[in-house]
Order: sequence, then structure tokens, then C-alpha cells
Amino acid sequence: MSELLLVPFLACLVLAGIHAYLGLHVLARGVIFVDLALAQVAALGMTAALLAGHAPESDAAYAWALAFTTLGALVFALTRPEFEERHGFPGARRALGGWGGHVGAPHVGKIPQEAIIGIVYAVAAALTVLVLDRVAQGGEQIKQLLVGSILAVTREEVSRLAALYALIGTIHWLCRRPLLALSLGGDVRGARAWDFLFYLTFGLVVTSSVRIAGVLLVFSYLIVPAVIGAWLVPSIGWRLAIGWIVGLVASAGGLAASYGWDLPTGATVVAAFGALLALVALARSLVALGARTRREGRRALAGLGIGGGSVLALAGLALVAFPRADHVWLDALERAVPALQTAFLTAVERGVAADARESIARGARELARLRALAADVQWGRRELPPEQRERLRQFLAGRDEIVSGDRLVLKTLTRRVRERQRFVLGMPLTALGVILAATSLRRSRTSARTT
Amino acid sequence: MLLPLLVAATISVAATTTDLRDLVAAVGGDRVRVESLTHPRQGPHASEIHPRQLTLLSGADVLVRIGLDHEPWLARALRAARAAPGAAPRDLDASRAVALLDAETPRLRADRRPHVHAFGNTHYWLDPENARPITARIAETLGEVRPADRALFAANRDRFLRELDLRLVRWRAALRPYAGTRVVVAHDTWPYFARRFALTVVATVEEQPGVPPSPRYLGALITRMKEAGVTTILAEPGAPAAVLARVAAGTGARVVTLAPSVGADPEATDYLTLFEVNVRRLVAALAR
Repeated sequence: MSELLLVPFLACLVLAGIHAYLGLHVLARGVIFVDLALAQVAALGMTAALLAGHAPESDAAYAWALAFTTLGALVFALTRPEFEERHGFPGARRALGGWGGHVGAPHVGKIPQEAIIGIVYAVAAALTVLVLDRVAQGGEQIKQLLVGSILAVTREEVSRLAALYALIGTIHWLCRRPLLALSLGGDVRGARAWDFLFYLTFGLVVTSSVRIAGVLLVFSYLIVPAVIGAWLVPSIGWRLAIGWIVGLVASAGGLAASYGWDLPTGATVVAAFGALLALVALARSLVALGARTRREGRRALAGLGIGGGSVLALAGLALVAFPRADHVWLDALERAVPALQTAFLTAVERGVAADARESIARGARELARLRALAADVQWGRRELPPEQRERLRQFLAGRDEIVSGDRLVLKTLTRRVRERQRFVLGMPLTALGVILAATSLRRSRTSARTT
Repeated sequence: MLLPLLVAATISVAATTTDLRDLVAAVGGDRVRVESLTHPRQGPHASEIHPRQLTLLSGADVLVRIGLDHEPWLARALRAARAAPGAAPRDLDASRAVALLDAETPRLRADRRPHVHAFGNTHYWLDPENARPITARIAETLGEVRPADRALFAANRDRFLRELDLRLVRWRAALRPYAGTRVVVAHDTWPYFARRFALTVVATVEEQPGVPPSPRYLGALITRMKEAGVTTILAEPGAPAAVLARVAAGTGARVVTLAPSVGADPEATDYLTLFEVNVRRLVAALAR
């Protein structure tokens, strides 16, 4: 296991190192989807390389991708000053959402740079589809390059990536004043040239990272650490430090979860980033709520009451209106407190449910044992005559059906229970939710009037 | 002057794949005008509909398809094509002519194991013996459309099968020394081919195409391959190169890229050369 995950983990650390830093720039510039656009432009370059007769993973294809990315960088460097300066909304006023310096009627011709980024992405993706339609082979490889395969990364690739990113990091360190000033909305002489340097190095990083990690993972390494850093601390240095810690924790957690729960690695690391972001957001909200409650008393909880009450009322209403639909929250509650379901079953039904559960557990054990036997036979660890192999195959298929049948029995019983819970649980829950939401709303209005 | 008459005299056939196109051409000869609706370079299961496909479908007398769940785009294409004036083409589902593998998919699944093909593995054209029942159905359908040419279609089919039989003897002889060899496949594309040539497929690298394997699965696969001495991985041109290279590096196995369809490889120019190419590559890899 350690051998299989060590190199991907090192690759994740290298990715976290450079992307957490570049993410700060991207977030400050408000060009969140620029890496998706540049990755797609790089994919278009690789597709063009296929047309020119190169293999998708060759150095020549990489060179084509870089050439296209450079063009993309040029487009982004040229469009930002042109669109923003000409229409008079420099970076300092980006707090208004990039829609201009004046609140009121929108001005003709004002275009946020995200529009250009979106257009570049869509056109590059469409051109890739058109070119792939004419290429003899390689379409699947291009798709896979965008999906990535972090688990299959080699030591040589990680070393090359680390060396390249160290070089780019050094360039950014040497040019940190103009580059940071530009990203943070300041005025810099020769802004277009610095912008081009930023997008060029950024494009180089994205093109190289996407080859091994895929678009989703690269986007996560870029944006999630920067967002969490921006939530927690004001200084760039601390944001970078927090970004690196977030990258490290999500990488380690994602890889461990991928191994432990037998899941595809790249997608699991992306999910780990999402979970980490959600945890930090929840903690931040709780801290803010605590502070507000200390300051304003119970009035601060009114929003929570309105939200919680509305959710309860909707869940209750859904149970009343559609008892046979999926009620995931009730399934989870019943798993935690089985009495919640058994109370609605007759004595006979309880017996049937218990039998079905026991049969499922027995069947699952039997299936696991027979599957292991079938795998041993298939891999040549054990010998079985052909007729016994066929019997084993048929028995597995049959047992599979029996277990599924028992699950269907449980599902049917659950549906019956839902019909019975429909009014007994659904109506009180709806009433409780409405009362909670209405009380909270009234308290909030009363407090607002008194203040 | 005669050209429009000649064109009108031919049966227009739309085949969903290049493999079926070749089989129709072998049976129909100069009495059919057959084109493939897809090219192997496009994904076999999902494809955006092209205007050319609609033109072919709306003008076709016969539609020959793989069937099962191999062409999820076809229903939409047929709906779109039928909006144009003209009758619906006669439908030939080739999967009904052959004995399918992996067809015992339980209606309800007890486990969470992914299953790509819900009604049976669709790559049945990769067993050359299946050309026999498929061409029989093609000859039958073409004969229904043009009863006067029934004998001609039967004669064409016999000629094609004689050639196939000759080559089958050669292919079998070439692969006989490797009967029972255990192989790992990139995707679940090769069960019919493996059964015909007595190879044993022991595992798939990517159980769901496009979803990379988990580290635990990959680790177990590498360990088992080393223990069982599996030294060959069968792949198709679109297989995930990086993951296959990782498995090959971990086990010392060789990746052999075979052509799953006519045209998927520049050398596989028709149905018979498809097997010529695959058998030659496989023998070269197994002999090492």
C-alpha cells in the first residue's frame, strides 16, 4: 500500500505547493475559472498534436499544448487591461462584482473578464470536439488527460514537476512585487507584460498538472486552499501557510479514504477538499453565531430557527404528500433508532423483517466466501473441474438474486411503514416546523422593531 | 442515364458499426449500399448525433445494429430521422442472432459491483464464429427486402464463410500453443474473443471505463498478477495508458493493444483483417 500511495502523495504535495500560491492570485483577480479555460486550451493543443501525427503523451504533444497555452495566456493578458481600463473599472473597484464602477444602469460594452474566460473555455472545448472527430485515434486519451490518473504517476514525473514548479516559484518570488500588486488591484508600470508573465507561468503549471492530476483535482488544489486562507486570515503570507496545510490535510485524508474505502483516488481527494471546506465553513458559521448570540441574545438564533423550521416543515410535508418517495433523512433515523420503524409494523411483519435481515446477512457471508473461491479458481490458486465451475457460477448468480429478493422484502415493508407514518409522523413534523419558523420570524421582527 | 436506376436498385443499409457494415457488404455485395453510422474513433456507447447519420437513417431501407445497450444514442437519432418524410427502416438487431455472454445479470443486484452492460456483453462481433449467425440474419433480412436476390445473398454469404473458415483454422492453430493462458484486460471488451481462442480473462483494470481503479483494487490486482504469473494485458486503443503502464511496471506484464473494431487500427481494414491483426499481435506478445 505504502509503495502504491507514496508517489501519488508526493505528487499531491508538489501540486499543493504551487497551486495554493497561484490560487491566491486567481482568487484576488477574480478569474476563478481561468485554469479550466487554460486546461481546455492545452487539451486543444494536444488534439492538434494528434492531427500532426504525434502520440498524446509525447513531448511533441506537450510542446503543442504549451504553445496553445501561451496563446491563451496572451489572450487573457491582453483582454484584462483592455476591457477593464477602457471602461474605467480598475481592480480596486472589483469589490462591486466586476460589473463596473457605478452602481445603477449597466454601461454598454462593459464585460467582466470571466466572460472572456468562459468564451475561451467553450470555444476551445468545441474545437477539441471538432478536431477529435477527425483524428484517427487518441480521443479517449485526451479525455483521460483531462480526468487524470494521479494513482499512476511515476517518480520521474514527480521529480520533473517539482523541478519545474521550483523554477516557476523562484520567478514569482523574484517578481513578487509587481505580480502581487497587479493581482491585488494596484497600478504597475508595464501591466500587460507582467500580466502575460503571470498567465504564461500559470498556464505552464496548469498544463503540466492537468497531465497527471486532471482538471477537477487541479481546480481543487488551486481554489479551495485559497478560499479557506481568505476566510481565516488577512495577510498573504498566512493565507499561503494555511493553503499549504489545507493541501496537505486534504491530500493525506483523500488518499487514506481512497485506500480505506476502495474509491478512485482523484475524485476522493477532490471530495476531501470539499469536506474540508464544508467543515471550515461550518466552524466559521458556528463561531460567528456564538459571537452574535453573545452580542444580541436569542434574537441571533432567529435565522437558524426560521431555516430549521422550514426544513422540518418541508420534510414533513414531503412525507404527507409523497410517502412512497425516498425519504433519506427518515431512513437514516430508522437505522439509528430501529424502534421508529418497528413501532409501525405488525407482529407478523416484524417477524418477516427479522427473517429477511438474517437471510441477507447469511447470504452476504455466503456470497463473499463463494466469490473468494471463484476468484481463486479464476487466478489459478485452486483447481475446479469445469462442471463444478459452472455450478459455482450459477450458484453465485442465484444467491445474488435471493439476497436481492430479501432486500426487496425490506423495501416493501418500508413502503408500508411510510404509508402508516404519513400522517402520524408527517403532520406533527409539518406543524412543528411551521410553529418553529413562525415563532422565530416573529421574534426576529419584534427585536428589529425594538432596536 | 442508367445510374439513377442502378442506385434505386440497391438496398440502402445503415449499420451502426464498421464491423456490421463489413458483414452486410460481404452478404449484400453490389446489391447493397451500406454505410456505418459511427467510426471506431468515436466512443462506441455515447455519441453526439451528426447530420450525416440522420441522412443515412432517413434514407435507409434496413438498419443493422449491435443492440442491447450498445447504442444509447440510436433511439434519439431514429426519432430525429423519422421526423423527415420517409418510412422507418427495417430493424435488424444482430444481438438476437448470437448467444450472449454475461447475460445473466440479476434483475436486482445485491452487490455494488459495477456492471457496464446490463443485458449482456455487447462485444460479440469479436468472436469470428458469431459472423455465421449474424450474416444468416443479414441474408434473411436482405432477402425479405429483395426476394429476387435471395440466392445471390446466400451465395455471397457462403463465399464469405468459406474464407472465414480457412482463416479460422489458421488463427486457431497460431493461438493453440497458448490455450488456457491467463490474461488481464483493460476493459470488459474481450470475453468473446478470449473464449474463442481459449484465453482466460482473470481481471479487468478499469471495471467502469473512465473511472480509474481505486488504490486497493490496483494493489490487489498487481499482487495477484504477480502470484499467478499473468504477463499479458489486452487493451484497446482508447485504454487508459498511464494506469496500464503502472500495472505493467508493477508486474512486468506487457500491454498488447488490439483493435476492437474495423478501422480502430489503421491495419484493421475489414472484418477478416481485424482478426488477422489481433491474432498476429497476440501471438507476438505471448511468444516473447
